[in-house]
Parts: sequence; structure tokens; C-alpha cells
Amino acid sequence: MTRDLQPTLLVGAAALAAFGVSLVNFAAQGTVDAQVGLTFGTVLVAFGGVFVATRRFAPEAVPHLLPPVAVIAGFGFVEIFRLNPFRAGLQRWWLLIGAALAAVVLAWIARNGLPSLRRYRNTQLLVAVGLLLMPLLPSEGSLPIRGLEVNGSRLWIEIDLYITQLNFQPGEVAKLLFVVFLASYLADRQPALKGAHRRIGRLTLPEPRQLGPLLLVWLGSLGILISQRDLGASLLLFLVFVAMLYVATGEGGYLVGGGMLIAIGGVASWQMFDHVQRRVSAWLDPFGAFEDAGYQVAQGIFGMGTGSLAGSGPGLGQPELIPNAITDFIFAAVGEEFGFAGTVAVLGCYALAIATGFGIALRSRDRFNKLLAFGLTFVFAIQTFLIIGGVLRVVPLTGIALPFMSYGGSALVGNFMLVALLLAVSHEEATR
Amino acid sequence: MPDLLLTLLRLIFLGLVYLFVWQVARSISTHLGLGGVRRRRRSGTRVALVKSDSQSGATFTVTDSMVLGRSDEADFFLDDPYASDFHLRLSTREGRLIVNDLGSTNGTYVNGRRVTTPVDLNRGDAVQVGKTVMEVR
Repeated sequence: MTRDLQPTLLVGAAALAAFGVSLVNFAAQGTVDAQVGLTFGTVLVAFGGVFVATRRFAPEAVPHLLPPVAVIAGFGFVEIFRLNPFRAGLQRWWLLIGAALAAVVLAWIARNGLPSLRRYRNTQLLVAVGLLLMPLLPSEGSLPIRGLEVNGSRLWIEIDLYITQLNFQPGEVAKLLFVVFLASYLADRQPALKGAHRRIGRLTLPEPRQLGPLLLVWLGSLGILISQRDLGASLLLFLVFVAMLYVATGEGGYLVGGGMLIAIGGVASWQMFDHVQRRVSAWLDPFGAFEDAGYQVAQGIFGMGTGSLAGSGPGLGQPELIPNAITDFIFAAVGEEFGFAGTVAVLGCYALAIATGFGIALRSRDRFNKLLAFGLTFVFAIQTFLIIGGVLRVVPLTGIALPFMSYGGSALVGNFMLVALLLAVSHEEATR
Repeated sequence: MPDLLLTLLRLIFLGLVYLFVWQVARSISTHLGLGGVRRRRRSGTRVALVKSDSQSGATFTVTDSMVLGRSDEADFFLDDPYASDFHLRLSTREGRLIVNDLGSTNGTYVNGRRVTTPVDLNRGDAVQVGKTVMEVR
């Protein structure tokens, strides 16, 4: 792309979102209202703002990461607006806040340089762990920050600002810190981790001492599973760690070891925890568990089945029958109202964004930048895979937000910052 | 009638989304230079590894400048225990291929003679690094 096509595409994405909202309006009341203009403005200001920030602070950044992300966000917004106009109003603010924070990240990196992220590595890890543990704070009491239990998982905190209360999922930011920490840790330790293996017959295994960190992270993610009852975050953290370890060293043994640990952890938690068991039975036989955990998955399948090839049309289906249709199951709602065609378009946008991210990693020459770009893209990709796979019954359902589509402020903010970091890496690599 | 209109509008919406995806995909492929591979190959010089423990038959194309060596960060990785991390540079200038030894430990040999200064290469010349022999195509 000539870099000049990007603004056109971003305007196009905003126009698509506005068009979608006008369709919803039209289906509901036969006319269009001010929401159409507001949507166009919001998407344009949010992504246009990030674009302007890129021009200013990272002019050499790849030009085709933002457009697909903008379409994904627009698509998600249409479906949220259709299901819950009140939440859509909030999502609008979160889009703007997320974009503003992305601009702040870009400006900060332009000022201090990417390598500055490598300083205070251990502090980053501590902050990440602290953020992950924050929801465990007592939910009653005089502290201004309280833990909150939502849908059986303890992922939320409630911050009392005296005027108003703000609910936030600190795990969304912790993910990013964890990736930054891992990138700098692995970039420094790469020579030590590489080649430290033992041969047993034809099998190459990592040196037992090197498996220490692997076991530690494994225990940590099991800890999250137990304490917060959150399958998604726990799996995500461990997968990111194993993938980055593999990319840093090129040792297939880490994949084998990581895979075995996932299998052990998976089977053990399936036997020990009721909530994992219910997820698995809802995955294997959603209609058999229709009265229980299978209800949501089954409704999602009904919805997508009803949507068929081209969908029922925005505002004309019944995605409100799917529990959590604006968060975890937004993909099923898109499948119902925009059909197979709509879901494939969404998947295409994700594929393009993810391919661009991995492209940044592949072209990076600096070890830290490469690992950072890979880790960030992997987080983005694996979240998309886990939740879409959960909705489509490819994997058991894990409660993870679909990046840029699901309703949710913390996830949106976290993902905007993730994209800003990727843009900063691509700029840095292009100017080296 | 409104039903028909809505269906039409929906299909237009989906069509526009696909148009958009296609535009982005096309721009990515031009950015990655997928369309320009053939052109570039003609302008560069091809070098083939004719003798190597593990890389025999591998080829690469020098378009601008390339560093060969045993380091991961070299442009072309030489799997040879006698190669230095950054062993030599191959560069093109006005259509000629030039080899430049980067102060390697075990030296670079062109047609059997050790070179220490930049040397022009011709088609068929053999460049030897350790046990690896490359031929200019």
C-alpha cells in the first residue's frame, strides 16, 4: 500500500460501521437517526486519531495494521449497538479512551525509545503479577479497590472514585506487561537457553534446569485457574510463555514439554474442578447439557445456523437469546445477523491483522523487538482463536474477550495498547 | 418492499466489507513485494552453495548487499564450523558482484586464493568459506 491509502481505508471502515448502524436503525424503526453520524464520528476519531499519532510519532510504521482492526471494531460496534444501545454508548467512550491511550503509548515510545521498555524488567513482572492478583482483594470492605466476582470468575476489580465506580479487568493490562517482560528476559537469556538440551536416543529434551521457569509459569497459570476460576487467562499466559520460549530458542523440546504440561494440567483440572468439567461437557455435547452450561453454546449454534449464508440482517435476527451475546458470544451474534459471509469477512480481517503482526516480527532484526512483536501478535491471535474456537466448538469455551469486537472497556484499552506497541516496533525496525 | 430493500442493503454491506478486505489484502501483498519477486531475481545475482555439510543446493540472490556468517543475525546463515559470525559481505555495484571479507578468522577464498580486499566476482567463480563452497551463477 502506498501509505496514502491508509486514511482512505480508515474512513471506509468508519463508513462501514455507520452503514451497519443505519441498517440496524432501519430495521428497528424504518428511519435512521443521529446514531449513524455518531458512529461514523467515533470510529473515525478513534482510528483516525491513532493514525495521526502514528504519522507523528512512528511515521515508518506498517500502514496496514490499523484498517483491518478498524473494520473489526466497527463490525463489533454494530452488533453491540443492535443488542444493547446503552452499552454501545459506553463502548463509544471506551473506543476513544483506548485510542487516546494508544497515542500516549506511541508518544512515550517515540520519546524514550523501545529499549527503555527493557529497563525495570522485574518491576514489570511484579506489577503484572500484582494486577493479576488484584481481583482477589476482598469484595466487601473499606478499601477503595475491591475484587468483584462476575459469572463465577473473579477477574474484575471495582475502583471507587467517590464520584463514580469504575469496573476494570486488570488482567488485560497484565498480559501486555507479561509479554514485554518475557521479550526482554528471553532476549537476554537466549544464548543460555539455546542449545541447553540433552539427547535421549533420537529425542532432544531441554536440560532439566532450564525447565524450571516452564514449571514455575505452569504452576502460576494453574494458580490463576484455581483462585480466579478463569480458564481463558490461565491458558493464555501459559501458551504465550511456551510459544515465546520456542521462538526465542528454536528448541522443539519446549513445545513438547509445554504440550505435556498443558495436557497434565488440563486433565487434572478437569477432574478436580466442577467449572472445568461443565465447560468440557458443554463443548462435547452442548445439547446434552442444554439445561446447564451447554445452553449458551447451543444458543450460539442455533443463532449461526439461523443466520445461514448471508444472515438474517442486522436487527432482524434474535441474537439476544444468546447469553453474553455482546461479550463472549459476539461472533455468534455476527453469524446470526450477517451470516457465514459476515463471519468469514471478520475472520479475514483478523487473519490480515495477525499476518501483519507476524510480518513485523519476521522482519525485525533486533532480538527484543522480534520477540516483543511475536508475543503481542500471539496474544492477539490466541485470544481470537480461543474465543471463536469456543463459540464454534473447536475447543472448550473459555471466557475471553474477542479482541476489538466484544463489549468491554479493559479489553479494548489493552488491545489498543497492544496495537500501538506493534506499530512502534515496526517503526523502530524500519528506521534502524 | 422494505424487506427487499433491507436484504439488498445487507448484501451491499457485506459486499463492501469484502471489497475492503480485498483492498487491505492487496496492499499487504504489494508491501511484501509478492508481485515483484520475478523482477527482482533478474536484477540480482544468484549464488548457489555447491559444497556444504548441510546446505548443499541452497541458493540465494544478492540484490543489494548481504552479510553471510554463522550468526543468526547474518542475512544468510552459513552452517559451517569454520565460518565466523559475520564472515563476508556480498554486494552488487553497477551490476557487478563484489565479495568483501569482514576480517573472518579462517578467511575467504576466491577460486582457491585467499582474499583480504574487496574483489570482483564473475560468473562461475567459486567462493570458499571453511568447508563451504559457493558458486556465482
